[in-house]
Amino acid sequence: MSTSQQGTEAVPEGRETEAQQRARFERDALQYVDQLYSAAMRMARNPADAEDLVQEAYTKAYSAFHQYKPGTNLKAWLYRILTNTYINLYRKRQREPLRSSTDTVEDWQMAKAAQHTSTGLRSAEAEALDHLPDSDVKQALQSIPEEFRLAVYFTDVEGYAYKEVAEILGIPIGTVMSRLHRGRKQLRELLADYAATRGLGTAQKETDRPAAAGQGRK
Amino acid sequence: MGDCQSLGDCGDERIARLYEYLDGALSVDDLKDVREHLEGCEECTHEYDLECIIRSVVKRSCQEVAPNTLKTRIMSRISELRVETRHD
Repeated sequence: MSTSQQGTEAVPEGRETEAQQRARFERDALQYVDQLYSAAMRMARNPADAEDLVQEAYTKAYSAFHQYKPGTNLKAWLYRILTNTYINLYRKRQREPLRSSTDTVEDWQMAKAAQHTSTGLRSAEAEALDHLPDSDVKQALQSIPEEFRLAVYFTDVEGYAYKEVAEILGIPIGTVMSRLHRGRKQLRELLADYAATRGLGTAQKETDRPAAAGQGRK
Repeated sequence: MGDCQSLGDCGDERIARLYEYLDGALSVDDLKDVREHLEGCEECTHEYDLECIIRSVVKRSCQEVAPNTLKTRIMSRISELRVETRHD
């Protein structure tokens, strides 16, 4: 994982002019525009909305830039603002921060218990997955519930630790782990389906799964 | 075929541990356990490989490049902000 501290320098409080702050923001924060846009693409429905979301997040970040502590993880700080902006812009009706009604300990336990039957994949399919076009993978990711998707995204794509993902999404660590687990399981099944549809690999999905295996899916 | 007992119940705990291993969430001792176990267990190694491939495929597929105009839009929006009343 890359260190996000690069390029950020401690600035003595009160000694920075507005122009200097703006230059510092442009240099340090704007370097992550592609990453923020990529994350926004997992949140918004289309590129135009993703752009608006990123712009809004950066505007908020600039207004709050004095609250950012130089030397701490700037990218994670920006992601947190992006997530909050997303919740406020697109999810106003729901007060809960990306909370799913299925986030319970029981679900996590149940999903865990069903885990070993969940893959439905064979070695040949591993190879096949590797050849899936990006569009399929993105579509599969977009197909899983949003709260799972973002947990998977920040962990697997950005490489954040559970604790950091918890901070970015504003949820407990246990919830991150449960969402990750269920998200990965669903994603894996979808990817296997895409691979099979494209005739990649010769693997067939297990059909003799115990009934419990399907309960984690909605 | 290796024995998965060292990782707890073969199946349940095993994959959860592998995920945590891949996520870098295990303690040094647990890390060693998983590593040693992977050496001898075909099933776990297969699972591990599969999970690695999925992660790399997902990562690869999600690298978007923001439109060129976005940075400009953001900076011009921020300049406007400067002209507006500042609260802080």
